[in-house]
Amino acid sequence: MKNLNRRDFFKTTAFGVALATLGAKSAKASDKMLSEDRIGVLVDTAVCVGCRHCEWACKVAHNIPTTDLDTYSDNTVFKEYRRPEQTALTVVNEFENEKNSLLPIQVKTQCMHCERPACVSACIVGALTKEEDGSIIWNDDKCIGCRYCMVACQFQIPTYDYDRSIDPHIRKCDFCHDRRKEGQLPACVNICPNEALLFGKRSEVLRVAKNRIKRKSDVYVNHIYGEQEVGGTSWIYIASKNFDKLKMPTLVKNPAPGISESIQHGIFAYFIPPVTLYALLRTIMWVSTRHKDKNSENLSDIHKDEKGEES
Amino acid sequence: MKKILYILIPVIIICFLVITVSSSQTQLHKQENKVTVSKNQNSKISDKLTAYDVKGFTCKSCHVNEYPTKNDPGLSDCPREYMVSEYRSPKEGPDVVVINDMSDNYSGVVFSHKLHSQMSEMSGGCTGCHHYNTTGPVLNCRNCHDKNRSREDITVPDLKAAYHRQCMTCHKQWTLENGCNTQCHLQKGTNIEQVLESYKGKEHPKVNSPEKMLWETNSDKGKMVTFFHDEHNKLFRISCNTCHNQENCIKCHEKKPREDYSKPVKIQKSLEEHHSRCNNCHSGNSCTKCHSGQELSPFNHGKSTGWTLNSYHNKLECSKCHGNSVPIKKLDRNCNSCHKNFTKGKFDHKVTGIYLSEVHMELECKDCHTNGDFSKAPNCKSCHDDKSYPAQLPGTRGKK
Amino acid sequence: MIASPVKQKYITPGVMILIILALNGLAFLAVRFISGLGAVTNLDNTTPWGLWIGVDVAAGVALAAGGFTSAALVHVMQREHYHAIVRPALLTAMLGYTFVAFAVCVDIGRFYFIWHPLIMWNGNSALFEVGICVMIYLTVLYIEFLPVVIERFMFRVNLPGLLKILNKPLDGILRILNRGLPKTMFVFIIFGVVLSTLHQSSLGTLMVIAGQKMHPLWQTPILPLLFLLSAIAVGFPMIIFESLIASRSFKMKPEMKILSSLGSMVAPILAIYLAFKVGDLFIRNAFQYVLVFDTAAWMFIAELALIIIAFLLFLSKKTVDSPLRLFVASTLVIAGVLLNRINNFIIAYNPFYNPKMYIPSFGEISVTIGCIALLVLIYRAVVIIFPVISQENVKARN
Repeated sequence: MKNLNRRDFFKTTAFGVALATLGAKSAKASDKMLSEDRIGVLVDTAVCVGCRHCEWACKVAHNIPTTDLDTYSDNTVFKEYRRPEQTALTVVNEFENEKNSLLPIQVKTQCMHCERPACVSACIVGALTKEEDGSIIWNDDKCIGCRYCMVACQFQIPTYDYDRSIDPHIRKCDFCHDRRKEGQLPACVNICPNEALLFGKRSEVLRVAKNRIKRKSDVYVNHIYGEQEVGGTSWIYIASKNFDKLKMPTLVKNPAPGISESIQHGIFAYFIPPVTLYALLRTIMWVSTRHKDKNSENLSDIHKDEKGEES
Repeated sequence: MKKILYILIPVIIICFLVITVSSSQTQLHKQENKVTVSKNQNSKISDKLTAYDVKGFTCKSCHVNEYPTKNDPGLSDCPREYMVSEYRSPKEGPDVVVINDMSDNYSGVVFSHKLHSQMSEMSGGCTGCHHYNTTGPVLNCRNCHDKNRSREDITVPDLKAAYHRQCMTCHKQWTLENGCNTQCHLQKGTNIEQVLESYKGKEHPKVNSPEKMLWETNSDKGKMVTFFHDEHNKLFRISCNTCHNQENCIKCHEKKPREDYSKPVKIQKSLEEHHSRCNNCHSGNSCTKCHSGQELSPFNHGKSTGWTLNSYHNKLECSKCHGNSVPIKKLDRNCNSCHKNFTKGKFDHKVTGIYLSEVHMELECKDCHTNGDFSKAPNCKSCHDDKSYPAQLPGTRGKK
Repeated sequence: MIASPVKQKYITPGVMILIILALNGLAFLAVRFISGLGAVTNLDNTTPWGLWIGVDVAAGVALAAGGFTSAALVHVMQREHYHAIVRPALLTAMLGYTFVAFAVCVDIGRFYFIWHPLIMWNGNSALFEVGICVMIYLTVLYIEFLPVVIERFMFRVNLPGLLKILNKPLDGILRILNRGLPKTMFVFIIFGVVLSTLHQSSLGTLMVIAGQKMHPLWQTPILPLLFLLSAIAVGFPMIIFESLIASRSFKMKPEMKILSSLGSMVAPILAIYLAFKVGDLFIRNAFQYVLVFDTAAWMFIAELALIIIAFLLFLSKKTVDSPLRLFVASTLVIAGVLLNRINNFIIAYNPFYNPKMYIPSFGEISVTIGCIALLVLIYRAVVIIFPVISQENVKARN
């Protein structure tokens, strides 16, 4: 990043350093505590067979109307690339496998549940929250429908009910928060016949992912998608093909909300900058009023002349 | 008074510069923290992995703790095929296996073990499925794989996944084209005995192999590459799995109608893959061994080995000389490496075209063929001072 | 030089056209509130923000910057010379921000929860800061406008019919306010300036979080600074632009003395803005994206060209002295900043999964134009009722 150059340049401002520490402190204070045992899912695209049972289970778990499970074996849906939408919080897409055209690669898409989520940082009312276990859930009672979360999300996951005027929802994967409260696995993980979705502690799941890549280095690309992307995500992917070829965005390691939050906390570092600005303006006002009063005594004659002309 | 305006603007600018600095600095701090954490994790994992990367096993290969006990064995992640210590023949296996551990929506699965195992040699043998084999009986999947998906040790897939992965990794199309209960799972209430009966005596049909293969390449070493498949297979008796050891069943089974199985299977391979197949044995040969301007002629014993077969040897089966070893072994060129029992009277010298005179017939073979080397001209000097072969013959020339 | 209500007929042919435009916009608004956003807009899951946020809100806030720049100039720096511009600028800001608040209500899905940010805080969110600041600033603007209401209606409250009962208490309130306000007004004025700098910049922070979804020509950590500078830069040209339009519309002589000296201050501000904008481009090595000459690059060039031409025009004394040239130069600045906001919020937003490019629908454009028309209509009504516009020779004319 080119920020480095600017960083050096700005460092010369001695005045800045003092406030910079304030900004850093307040930004740090805002970080929510994440549990060491926070959850994660490993999506092993080399194991996924594209049965789309996860799509069906997700709909059932979230009370979204759906057809019979048997209808999901229709593979014509793979002809078009699909994205999660209001009526499908997770979708599976198919990609060509150059190594073996008969074993195409299928990739499931859903909310990645970022470690440093942009949507949570962006939400104006805090309707999206990052839970201690790592899941990001949406709060119906708070949301005002501004869709800033959709602007912020680097994976373009949140969807919005554009056809509803009253009570439109932001919909996205909620890591089956309700199911897990009852001690159940997320619906998609539970139904997956191949356990292509491996649920566990994020640290553990990450370890398994590294293990698999190391063991089958001829099969897997040496990249765990989500390990470091935008500061890490709860859902991580391994694949036998480069991720940009699987339509996964190539992202930087910096958390998406990092810069904007720092700016925000910089502006509001304990309200010091606004208060300083207020004081500064008040001083200028005071100085200029005095200056004007002095001048007006000298210039009173001229003013009188002007007024005379006007009347 | 304008000056004040010009002072105000820089002040505001400075304020915002400060903010940007603070933002970028926070950024920097956070980044550094992140990186070190992940580094630690990395090193931990690689330490663990090296244990079974090495083929020599120690206790530590499986037990990660210092003093393993029965209650706390402290086992590391499943080593899978790294720990296979018992190699079995596919022929040992049963014809059919019924998998019925955890059927819920559907009934069990009848797996045609024999049909699959007969071809398993082409894809790594039994270990392709039985990936963890130690001495003792063949382990069932359920011995290691937990039925519960919500479990402590997630490094080993659960039983449902283990079964499905065995089949679905190859039979990927089934999920989409047919649904679960048409190819694998039986419908509830199906008479399993009937299904088992239908598998009786079923065997994998004999695989057709090509006589020879001809490739046109762009190589400047020679555009044509000829490969005599039959020669390698039948003449040199190189077993199929010497080359075809990592094949995928669907390379043949891709075509849906069964009639198409008789047609040759085209396999897409990269340049390296093509070369590595041959180089496994022919690494010492030059490019022109395979590459040529035109189609190569088939195997010729004289040309390829430098030992031309005469009319007598020509009539022999390869195994007469080379034995039954697989693959065919290179032989010593000394005649007595095969003809060990060539003694006086046992060998009819007429076959060489020289009819020995009576005096010479009385001699031992090695009296003339010194050192037992029959390829060299016989030595006359040991008896005769003034004679040499072939100017003076030890008999007369005649029909072979 | 005392402000007084403009003595003009309200209805003119121009006003009739504005009313039609406003009604057209309102019709589409009705559809939006009955059938949801999807029925009127071209927004979808890939493009959650469109014309309404980009123009109505972002550009609206920027173009209402005349309010705080003039307040800073006249009240904070005590340049009484410019007093005549304060009230029109204040009115523009007040109406502008009301329009922004209205646009936000229209754009957000759950408009009935617009008050949520007041009690549900998220300090990390740039949008939260913008929302809160705009809400408070709008209140401050109304308070700043109160003296105008007092001047017009104190001792003259005369409501028709049953509302007569309220005449006395209202008058009382006005009188109490009249006693208290002048002493405390400076607090609100400075507060207003502070709030403006905060949310004008935070409006820029809004798009920073979009990260790699933003085109690199616009995505920069100093986006807030650029937004603030451009807002300050557009403040005076906006005042000049309105004043010249108003004087033409109300057939009055333009206040060239004030406008010229305002105009002479624009060039240095534009210079600072341009220095940061272009400097940032080179420091980030983003200039290469201009050389691609795709749609985004051309939009960027257009935006920059408008500002540079305006800057060059403002440099010459000739421009500053002629009403026509001043008008053209100011319009260029306004167009440049408007385009900048559209670019930032619409053109630069270039997400990874982008099946179809966003083009505002007829409904969206209708609503935006309708709202602007409504704004002008209200402005005209207010200057006819309240003493907003000062005129040197207003008395001489009547």
